[in-house]
Amino acid sequence: MSSEPTFEAAQKELEQIVQRLESGETGLDEAIALWERGEELYRFCLGKLDSAQGKIEQLASRVEASKP
Amino acid sequence: MKVEASLYGDRKVFSVSAFNRGIATWLQRLPTVWVEGEVTELKRHQRWQSVFFTLKDPADGACLGVSMPRGQFDGLRLGLADGDHVHAYGRPELYAARGEFRLRALSLERFGLGDHLAALERLKRKLAAEGLFSAERKRALPVWPRTIGLVTGNDAAAKRDVLAGIQTRFPPAHVVVAETYVQGPRAAGAVVEALRRLSEVPGLDVVVVARGGGSFEDLLPFSDERLVRAIASCAVPVVSAVGHEQDTPLCDLAADVRASTPTAAARLVVPDLRELHERLDRARSGLERGARRSLESKVGRLEQAHERLRRAPALLVERRRAGLEHAAGRLRTLSPRATLNRGYAIVRADEAIVRSATSVESGERIEVEVGDGRFGARVE
Repeated sequence: MSSEPTFEAAQKELEQIVQRLESGETGLDEAIALWERGEELYRFCLGKLDSAQGKIEQLASRVEASKP
Repeated sequence: MKVEASLYGDRKVFSVSAFNRGIATWLQRLPTVWVEGEVTELKRHQRWQSVFFTLKDPADGACLGVSMPRGQFDGLRLGLADGDHVHAYGRPELYAARGEFRLRALSLERFGLGDHLAALERLKRKLAAEGLFSAERKRALPVWPRTIGLVTGNDAAAKRDVLAGIQTRFPPAHVVVAETYVQGPRAAGAVVEALRRLSEVPGLDVVVVARGGGSFEDLLPFSDERLVRAIASCAVPVVSAVGHEQDTPLCDLAADVRASTPTAAARLVVPDLRELHERLDRARSGLERGARRSLESKVGRLEQAHERLRRAPALLVERRRAGLEHAAGRLRTLSPRATLNRGYAIVRADEAIVRSATSVESGERIEVEVGDGRFGARVE
Protein backbone atom coordinates (compact mmCIF):
# COMPACT_ATOMS: atom_id res chain seq x y z
CA MET A 1 0.00 0.00 0.00
CA SER A 2 2.59 2.53 -1.09
CA SER A 3 0.24 5.00 -2.72
CA GLU A 4 -2.60 5.03 -0.22
CA PRO A 5 -5.87 3.62 -1.64
CA THR A 6 -9.24 5.00 -0.65
CA PHE A 7 -11.22 3.35 2.07
CA GLU A 8 -13.75 2.12 -0.46
CA ALA A 9 -11.07 0.57 -2.73
CA ALA A 10 -9.46 -1.19 0.22
CA GLN A 11 -12.82 -2.43 1.49
CA LYS A 12 -13.69 -3.74 -1.97
CA GLU A 13 -10.39 -5.57 -2.32
CA LEU A 14 -10.80 -7.06 1.14
CA GLU A 15 -14.25 -8.38 0.28
CA GLN A 16 -13.01 -9.83 -3.00
CA ILE A 17 -10.24 -11.63 -1.13
CA VAL A 18 -12.76 -13.07 1.32
CA GLN A 19 -14.89 -14.30 -1.56
CA ARG A 20 -11.95 -15.95 -3.24
CA LEU A 21 -10.88 -17.64 -0.04
CA GLU A 22 -14.41 -18.82 0.66
CA SER A 23 -14.74 -20.29 -2.80
CA GLY A 24 -11.96 -22.73 -1.80
CA GLU A 25 -10.43 -22.61 -5.24
CA THR A 26 -7.11 -21.10 -4.23
CA GLY A 27 -3.93 -22.97 -3.59
CA LEU A 28 -2.77 -23.15 0.02
CA ASP A 29 0.24 -20.89 -0.46
CA GLU A 30 -1.96 -18.41 -2.31
CA ALA A 31 -4.56 -18.65 0.42
CA ILE A 32 -2.02 -17.71 3.06
CA ALA A 33 -0.76 -14.82 0.94
CA LEU A 34 -4.32 -13.64 0.40
CA TRP A 35 -5.05 -13.84 4.09
CA GLU A 36 -2.05 -11.70 4.94
CA ARG A 37 -3.07 -9.19 2.31
CA GLY A 38 -6.62 -9.24 3.70
CA GLU A 39 -5.43 -8.58 7.24
CA GLU A 40 -3.35 -5.70 5.97
CA LEU A 41 -6.40 -4.23 4.21
CA TYR A 42 -8.51 -4.74 7.32
CA ARG A 43 -6.02 -2.84 9.49
CA PHE A 44 -5.88 -0.07 6.94
CA CYS A 45 -9.69 0.27 6.78
CA LEU A 46 -9.97 0.10 10.55
CA GLY A 47 -7.43 2.90 10.86
CA LYS A 48 -9.44 5.02 8.43
CA LEU A 49 -12.66 4.43 10.37
CA ASP A 50 -10.97 5.17 13.69
CA SER A 51 -9.69 8.48 12.42
CA ALA A 52 -13.14 9.30 10.99
CA GLN A 53 -14.68 8.48 14.34
CA GLY A 54 -12.15 10.78 16.02
CA LYS A 55 -13.05 13.60 13.67
CA ILE A 56 -16.75 13.14 14.28
CA GLU A 57 -16.27 13.32 18.04
CA GLN A 58 -14.08 16.38 17.65
CA LEU A 59 -16.66 18.16 15.47
CA ALA A 60 -19.53 17.11 17.69
CA SER A 61 -17.84 18.54 20.78
CA ARG A 62 -17.02 21.73 18.90
CA VAL A 63 -20.66 22.06 17.77
CA GLU A 64 -21.79 21.40 21.33
CA ALA A 65 -19.44 24.10 22.61
CA SER A 66 -20.63 26.66 20.05
CA LYS A 67 -24.32 26.24 20.86
CA PRO A 68 -25.73 29.47 22.30
CA MET B 1 -56.54 86.49 -40.95
CA LYS B 2 -54.99 89.81 -40.23
CA VAL B 3 -55.81 91.20 -36.81
CA GLU B 4 -56.20 94.97 -36.69
CA ALA B 5 -54.31 96.86 -34.03
CA SER B 6 -54.04 100.55 -33.17
CA LEU B 7 -50.74 102.22 -32.64
CA TYR B 8 -50.20 104.58 -29.69
CA GLY B 9 -46.70 105.81 -30.35
CA ASP B 10 -44.69 102.55 -30.57
CA ARG B 11 -47.28 100.59 -28.55
CA LYS B 12 -49.39 98.16 -30.54
CA VAL B 13 -52.83 97.76 -28.93
CA PHE B 14 -55.62 95.33 -29.81
CA SER B 15 -59.26 95.75 -29.16
CA VAL B 16 -60.81 92.97 -27.04
CA SER B 17 -62.71 91.77 -30.03
CA ALA B 18 -59.62 91.72 -32.24
CA PHE B 19 -57.64 89.95 -29.52
CA ASN B 20 -60.29 87.30 -29.07
CA ARG B 21 -60.66 86.78 -32.77
CA GLY B 22 -56.91 86.51 -33.15
CA ILE B 23 -56.62 83.88 -30.43
CA ALA B 24 -59.66 82.06 -31.80
CA THR B 25 -58.08 81.93 -35.22
CA TRP B 26 -54.83 80.66 -33.81
CA LEU B 27 -56.62 77.96 -31.81
CA GLN B 28 -58.26 76.67 -34.96
CA ARG B 29 -54.90 75.39 -36.08
CA LEU B 30 -54.82 72.87 -33.23
CA PRO B 31 -55.78 69.29 -34.12
CA THR B 32 -59.00 67.47 -33.30
CA VAL B 33 -58.59 65.23 -30.24
CA TRP B 34 -60.45 62.89 -27.86
CA VAL B 35 -60.92 64.15 -24.30
CA GLU B 36 -62.17 61.96 -21.46
CA GLY B 37 -64.10 63.32 -18.49
CA GLU B 38 -67.18 63.34 -16.36
CA VAL B 39 -70.23 65.30 -17.57
CA THR B 40 -71.44 68.05 -15.20
CA GLU B 41 -73.66 71.12 -15.51
CA LEU B 42 -75.33 69.82 -18.65
CA LYS B 43 -77.43 72.64 -20.19
CA ARG B 44 -79.77 72.05 -23.11
CA HIS B 45 -82.45 74.41 -24.25
CA GLN B 46 -84.74 74.22 -27.24
CA ARG B 47 -83.93 77.85 -28.02
CA TRP B 48 -80.16 77.30 -28.06
CA GLN B 49 -78.18 76.23 -31.10
CA SER B 50 -75.72 74.37 -28.89
CA VAL B 51 -75.74 72.18 -25.87
CA PHE B 52 -73.32 73.14 -23.13
CA PHE B 53 -71.73 71.09 -20.39
CA THR B 54 -68.55 70.91 -18.36
CA LEU B 55 -66.16 67.96 -18.53
CA LYS B 56 -64.57 67.30 -15.18
CA ASP B 57 -61.42 65.29 -14.58
CA PRO B 58 -62.38 62.82 -11.82
CA ALA B 59 -58.77 62.64 -10.66
CA ASP B 60 -58.19 66.27 -9.74
CA GLY B 61 -61.38 68.17 -10.58
CA ALA B 62 -59.92 70.08 -13.53
CA CYS B 63 -62.73 71.45 -15.69
CA LEU B 64 -63.25 72.07 -19.38
CA GLY B 65 -66.28 73.75 -20.92
CA VAL B 66 -67.75 71.91 -23.93
CA SER B 67 -70.22 73.02 -26.51
CA MET B 68 -71.83 70.82 -29.09
CA PRO B 69 -74.33 71.58 -31.85
CA ARG B 70 -77.73 70.66 -30.41
CA GLY B 71 -78.85 68.73 -33.49
CA GLN B 72 -75.74 66.56 -33.34
CA PHE B 73 -76.11 66.06 -29.59
CA ASP B 74 -79.73 65.01 -29.89
CA GLY B 75 -78.96 62.76 -32.85
CA LEU B 76 -76.63 60.64 -30.69
CA ARG B 77 -79.50 59.85 -28.27
CA LEU B 78 -77.05 59.25 -25.46
CA GLY B 79 -79.46 60.37 -22.77
CA LEU B 80 -76.56 61.79 -20.83
CA ALA B 81 -76.88 62.97 -17.25
CA ASP B 82 -74.48 64.66 -14.85
CA GLY B 83 -71.88 62.22 -13.62
CA ASP B 84 -71.68 60.15 -16.82
CA HIS B 85 -68.24 59.44 -18.24
CA VAL B 86 -67.73 60.39 -21.85
CA HIS B 87 -65.13 60.66 -24.54
CA ALA B 88 -65.60 63.92 -26.44
CA TYR B 89 -64.09 64.35 -29.89
CA GLY B 90 -63.46 67.95 -30.87
CA ARG B 91 -61.07 70.86 -31.11
CA PRO B 92 -60.27 73.78 -28.81
CA GLU B 93 -62.27 76.88 -29.45
CA LEU B 94 -62.46 80.40 -28.09
CA TYR B 95 -65.96 81.86 -27.96
CA ALA B 96 -64.91 85.26 -29.18
CA ALA B 97 -67.92 87.17 -27.90
CA ARG B 98 -67.20 86.20 -24.30
CA GLY B 99 -63.52 85.24 -24.44
CA GLU B 100 -64.44 81.80 -23.17
CA PHE B 101 -62.21 78.88 -23.98
CA ARG B 102 -63.89 75.55 -24.50
CA LEU B 103 -63.94 72.36 -26.46
CA ARG B 104 -66.13 72.37 -29.55
CA ALA B 105 -67.35 68.78 -29.61
CA LEU B 106 -68.12 67.11 -32.90
CA SER B 107 -68.87 63.73 -31.44
CA LEU B 108 -69.50 62.19 -28.06
CA GLU B 109 -69.31 58.64 -26.73
CA ARG B 110 -70.28 57.26 -23.43
CA PHE B 111 -67.31 55.81 -21.65
CA GLY B 112 -68.47 53.98 -18.59
CA LEU B 113 -67.28 50.90 -16.76
CA GLY B 114 -68.30 48.66 -19.64
CA ASP B 115 -66.24 50.64 -22.12
CA HIS B 116 -63.27 50.63 -19.78
CA LEU B 117 -63.63 46.90 -19.46
CA ALA B 118 -63.86 46.45 -23.22
CA ALA B 119 -60.81 48.64 -23.80
CA LEU B 120 -58.95 46.73 -21.11
CA GLU B 121 -59.92 43.43 -22.67
CA ARG B 122 -58.65 44.60 -26.07
CA LEU B 123 -55.35 45.68 -24.56
CA LYS B 124 -55.08 42.43 -22.66
CA ARG B 125 -55.59 40.39 -25.81
CA LYS B 126 -53.07 42.48 -27.71
CA LEU B 127 -50.36 42.15 -25.03
CA ALA B 128 -51.09 38.46 -24.56
CA ALA B 129 -50.69 37.95 -28.32
CA GLU B 130 -47.27 39.56 -28.01
CA GLY B 131 -46.43 36.97 -25.36
CA LEU B 132 -46.03 39.56 -22.63
CA PHE B 133 -47.91 37.43 -20.11
CA SER B 134 -46.53 34.03 -21.12
CA ALA B 135 -45.29 31.65 -18.47
CA GLU B 136 -41.90 31.28 -20.16
CA ARG B 137 -41.16 34.92 -19.50
CA LYS B 138 -41.61 34.57 -15.75
CA ARG B 139 -38.40 34.76 -13.79
CA ALA B 140 -37.79 33.13 -10.44
CA LEU B 141 -37.40 35.45 -7.48
CA PRO B 142 -33.96 35.59 -5.85
CA VAL B 143 -33.64 33.53 -2.68
CA TRP B 144 -31.48 36.10 -0.92
CA PRO B 145 -32.23 39.53 -2.34
CA ARG B 146 -29.51 42.06 -1.55
CA THR B 147 -31.57 45.10 -2.42
CA ILE B 148 -35.34 45.25 -2.85
CA GLY B 149 -36.99 48.07 -4.76
CA LEU B 150 -40.46 49.12 -3.61
CA VAL B 151 -42.73 51.20 -5.82
CA THR B 152 -45.63 52.52 -3.79
CA GLY B 153 -47.65 55.58 -2.86
CA ASN B 154 -46.32 57.84 -0.16
CA ASP B 155 -47.60 56.99 3.34
CA ALA B 156 -49.79 54.29 1.81
CA ALA B 157 -50.92 51.36 3.93
CA ALA B 158 -49.51 49.13 1.20
CA LYS B 159 -46.07 50.60 1.74
CA ARG B 160 -46.29 50.07 5.49
CA ASP B 161 -47.45 46.47 5.05
CA VAL B 162 -44.65 45.55 2.67
CA LEU B 163 -41.96 47.20 4.80
CA ALA B 164 -43.30 45.66 8.02
CA GLY B 165 -43.52 42.23 6.41
CA ILE B 166 -39.97 42.41 5.13
CA GLN B 167 -38.59 43.74 8.42
CA THR B 168 -40.26 41.01 10.46
CA ARG B 169 -39.18 38.15 8.30
CA PHE B 170 -35.76 39.27 7.26
CA PRO B 171 -34.32 42.17 9.29
CA PRO B 172 -31.09 42.49 7.28
CA ALA B 173 -33.03 43.23 4.07
CA HIS B 174 -32.22 46.49 2.29
CA VAL B 175 -35.26 48.20 0.77
CA VAL B 176 -35.14 51.19 -1.56
CA VAL B 177 -38.53 52.90 -1.67
CA ALA B 178 -39.57 54.82 -4.77
CA GLU B 179 -42.64 56.83 -3.85
CA THR B 180 -44.95 57.72 -6.67
CA TYR B 181 -48.53 58.53 -7.60
CA VAL B 182 -50.60 55.38 -7.50
CA GLN B 183 -53.88 56.95 -8.61
CA GLY B 184 -55.08 59.35 -11.25
CA PRO B 185 -53.89 60.26 -14.70
CA ARG B 186 -50.28 60.81 -13.70
CA ALA B 187 -49.92 57.48 -11.91
CA ALA B 188 -48.99 55.29 -14.88
CA GLY B 189 -46.19 57.56 -16.06
CA ALA B 190 -45.01 58.08 -12.50
CA VAL B 191 -44.78 54.34 -11.83
CA VAL B 192 -42.85 53.86 -15.08
CA GLU B 193 -40.46 56.59 -13.98
CA ALA B 194 -40.15 55.06 -10.50
CA LEU B 195 -39.24 51.71 -12.07
CA ARG B 196 -36.63 53.42 -14.21
CA ARG B 197 -35.13 55.17 -11.16
CA LEU B 198 -35.01 51.91 -9.24
CA SER B 199 -33.33 50.11 -12.10
CA GLU B 200 -30.33 52.38 -11.56
CA VAL B 201 -29.90 51.29 -7.94
CA PRO B 202 -26.75 49.13 -7.77
CA GLY B 203 -27.27 45.58 -6.59
CA LEU B 204 -31.04 45.69 -7.09
CA ASP B 205 -32.37 42.12 -7.16
CA VAL B 206 -36.15 42.42 -7.17
CA VAL B 207 -38.90 45.04 -7.34
CA VAL B 208 -42.23 45.07 -5.55
CA VAL B 209 -45.03 47.22 -6.95
CA ALA B 210 -47.56 47.65 -4.15
CA ARG B 211 -50.86 49.43 -4.04
CA GLY B 212 -53.77 48.80 -1.75
CA GLY B 213 -57.29 48.10 -2.87
CA GLY B 214 -59.37 50.69 -4.65
CA SER B 215 -62.18 51.16 -7.11
CA PHE B 216 -61.91 49.84 -10.61
CA GLU B 217 -61.01 53.34 -11.83
CA ASP B 218 -58.43 53.77 -9.09
CA LEU B 219 -56.61 50.69 -10.31
CA LEU B 220 -56.85 51.59 -14.02
CA PRO B 221 -53.33 53.13 -14.17
CA PHE B 222 -52.00 49.67 -13.31
CA SER B 223 -53.47 48.40 -16.55
CA ASP B 224 -51.93 51.22 -18.55
CA GLU B 225 -50.01 49.88 -21.52
CA ARG B 226 -46.85 51.88 -20.73
CA LEU B 227 -46.84 50.64 -17.15
CA VAL B 228 -47.52 47.04 -18.11
CA ARG B 229 -44.72 47.11 -20.67
CA ALA B 230 -42.33 48.72 -18.18
CA ILE B 231 -42.99 45.93 -15.71
CA ALA B 232 -42.55 43.22 -18.34
CA SER B 233 -39.24 44.69 -19.47
CA CYS B 234 -37.90 45.44 -15.98
CA ALA B 235 -34.29 44.25 -15.63
CA VAL B 236 -35.02 42.36 -12.41
CA PRO B 237 -37.99 40.19 -11.40
CA VAL B 238 -41.12 42.11 -10.37
CA VAL B 239 -43.70 41.18 -7.76
CA SER B 240 -47.04 42.85 -8.31
CA ALA B 241 -49.24 43.43 -5.28
CA VAL B 242 -51.91 45.72 -6.63
CA GLY B 243 -55.47 45.82 -5.37
CA HIS B 244 -57.23 42.93 -3.72
CA GLU B 245 -57.37 39.26 -4.55
CA GLN B 246 -60.27 39.63 -7.00
CA ASP B 247 -58.68 42.51 -8.95
CA THR B 248 -56.48 41.57 -11.82
CA PRO B 249 -54.93 44.71 -13.27
CA LEU B 250 -52.79 43.90 -16.30
CA CYS B 251 -49.61 44.65 -14.35
CA ASP B 252 -50.36 41.52 -12.32
CA LEU B 253 -50.21 39.46 -15.52
CA ALA B 254 -46.99 41.04 -16.73
CA ALA B 255 -45.21 40.73 -13.39
CA ASP B 256 -43.07 37.68 -12.70
CA VAL B 257 -45.02 36.88 -9.55
CA ARG B 258 -48.37 38.11 -8.40
CA ALA B 259 -49.04 38.64 -4.71
CA SER B 260 -52.59 38.82 -3.40
CA THR B 261 -51.71 41.51 -0.82
CA PRO B 262 -48.73 43.72 0.05
CA THR B 263 -48.05 41.48 3.07
CA ALA B 264 -48.02 38.43 0.81
CA ALA B 265 -45.54 40.26 -1.44
CA ALA B 266 -43.20 40.66 1.55
CA ARG B 267 -43.46 36.95 2.23
CA LEU B 268 -42.55 36.21 -1.39
CA VAL B 269 -39.47 38.41 -1.69
CA VAL B 270 -37.61 37.59 1.51
CA PRO B 271 -37.04 34.33 3.35
CA ASP B 272 -38.05 33.98 6.99
CA LEU B 273 -34.79 34.35 8.89
CA ARG B 274 -36.04 32.52 11.98
CA GLU B 275 -37.27 29.60 9.92
CA LEU B 276 -33.93 29.50 8.11
CA HIS B 277 -32.14 29.28 11.45
CA GLU B 278 -34.37 26.45 12.56
CA ARG B 279 -33.81 24.57 9.34
CA LEU B 280 -30.09 25.08 9.61
CA ASP B 281 -30.08 23.72 13.16
CA ARG B 282 -32.08 20.70 12.10
CA ALA B 283 -29.73 20.11 9.20
CA ARG B 284 -26.72 20.35 11.50
CA SER B 285 -28.00 17.73 13.92
CA GLY B 286 -29.01 15.58 10.97
CA LEU B 287 -25.48 15.96 9.68
CA GLU B 288 -23.98 14.53 12.84
CA ARG B 289 -26.50 11.70 13.01
CA GLY B 290 -25.85 10.89 9.36
CA ALA B 291 -22.09 10.85 9.78
CA ARG B 292 -22.33 8.53 12.78
CA ARG B 293 -24.76 6.20 11.04
CA SER B 294 -22.60 6.01 7.95
CA LEU B 295 -19.54 5.26 10.07
CA GLU B 296 -21.37 2.58 12.04
CA SER B 297 -22.51 0.77 8.93
CA LYS B 298 -18.98 0.85 7.54
CA VAL B 299 -17.53 -0.54 10.77
CA GLY B 300 -20.15 -3.31 10.70
CA ARG B 301 -19.38 -4.21 7.11
CA LEU B 302 -15.64 -4.19 7.74
CA GLU B 303 -15.91 -6.36 10.84
CA GLN B 304 -18.06 -8.83 8.95
CA ALA B 305 -15.50 -9.04 6.16
CA HIS B 306 -12.74 -9.44 8.70
CA GLU B 307 -14.57 -12.25 10.50
CA ARG B 308 -14.98 -14.11 7.24
CA LEU B 309 -11.36 -13.43 6.34
CA ARG B 310 -10.21 -14.79 9.68
CA ARG B 311 -12.21 -17.99 9.32
CA ALA B 312 -11.53 -18.61 5.65
CA PRO B 313 -7.92 -19.98 5.84
CA ALA B 314 -8.76 -22.32 8.69
CA LEU B 315 -11.78 -23.55 6.78
CA LEU B 316 -9.63 -23.99 3.74
CA VAL B 317 -7.03 -26.04 5.65
CA GLU B 318 -9.83 -27.99 7.28
CA ARG B 319 -11.30 -28.79 3.94
CA ARG B 320 -7.92 -29.79 2.57
CA ARG B 321 -7.34 -32.01 5.62
CA ALA B 322 -10.66 -33.72 5.09
CA GLY B 323 -9.77 -34.27 1.46
CA LEU B 324 -6.48 -35.75 2.54
CA GLU B 325 -8.15 -38.09 5.03
CA HIS B 326 -10.54 -39.21 2.35
CA ALA B 327 -7.67 -39.95 -0.02
CA ALA B 328 -5.81 -41.81 2.72
CA GLY B 329 -8.88 -43.92 3.40
CA ARG B 330 -9.24 -44.79 -0.22
CA LEU B 331 -5.51 -45.55 -0.39
CA ARG B 332 -5.85 -47.89 2.52
CA THR B 333 -8.78 -49.63 0.90
CA LEU B 334 -6.77 -50.20 -2.22
CA SER B 335 -3.69 -51.61 -0.36
CA PRO B 336 -3.31 -55.45 -0.30
CA ARG B 337 -3.37 -55.64 3.49
CA ALA B 338 -7.12 -55.69 3.62
CA THR B 339 -7.14 -58.55 1.12
CA LEU B 340 -4.56 -60.49 3.20
CA ASN B 341 -6.76 -59.98 6.26
CA ARG B 342 -9.50 -61.79 4.42
CA GLY B 343 -7.21 -64.95 4.26
CA TYR B 344 -5.20 -64.40 1.10
CA ALA B 345 -1.41 -64.61 1.18
CA ILE B 346 1.42 -63.20 -0.84
CA VAL B 347 4.19 -65.65 -1.70
CA ARG B 348 7.62 -64.33 -2.44
CA ALA B 349 10.69 -66.20 -3.68
CA ASP B 350 13.94 -64.20 -3.51
CA GLU B 351 11.78 -61.13 -2.65
CA ALA B 352 9.96 -61.54 -5.95
CA ILE B 353 6.23 -62.18 -5.84
CA VAL B 354 5.34 -65.67 -7.05
CA ARG B 355 2.66 -65.34 -9.69
CA SER B 356 2.93 -68.84 -11.29
CA ALA B 357 3.22 -72.40 -9.90
CA THR B 358 5.89 -73.20 -12.46
CA SER B 359 8.16 -70.43 -11.23
CA VAL B 360 9.13 -72.35 -8.10
CA GLU B 361 10.87 -75.60 -7.66
CA SER B 362 10.47 -78.31 -5.07
CA GLY B 363 12.59 -77.67 -2.01
CA GLU B 364 12.93 -73.96 -2.76
CA ARG B 365 12.64 -71.62 0.18
CA ILE B 366 9.81 -69.14 -0.05
CA GLU B 367 8.35 -66.47 2.15
CA VAL B 368 4.62 -66.20 2.85
CA GLU B 369 2.95 -62.95 3.87
CA VAL B 370 -0.45 -63.07 5.55
CA GLY B 371 -2.54 -60.41 7.23
CA ASP B 372 -0.55 -60.10 10.43
CA GLY B 373 2.98 -60.98 9.34
CA ARG B 374 5.37 -63.20 7.42
CA PHE B 375 6.73 -66.71 7.83
CA GLY B 376 9.12 -68.91 5.92
CA ALA B 377 8.21 -72.15 4.10
CA ARG B 378 9.60 -74.67 1.67
CA VAL B 379 8.05 -75.83 -1.61
CA GLU B 380 7.26 -79.56 -1.71
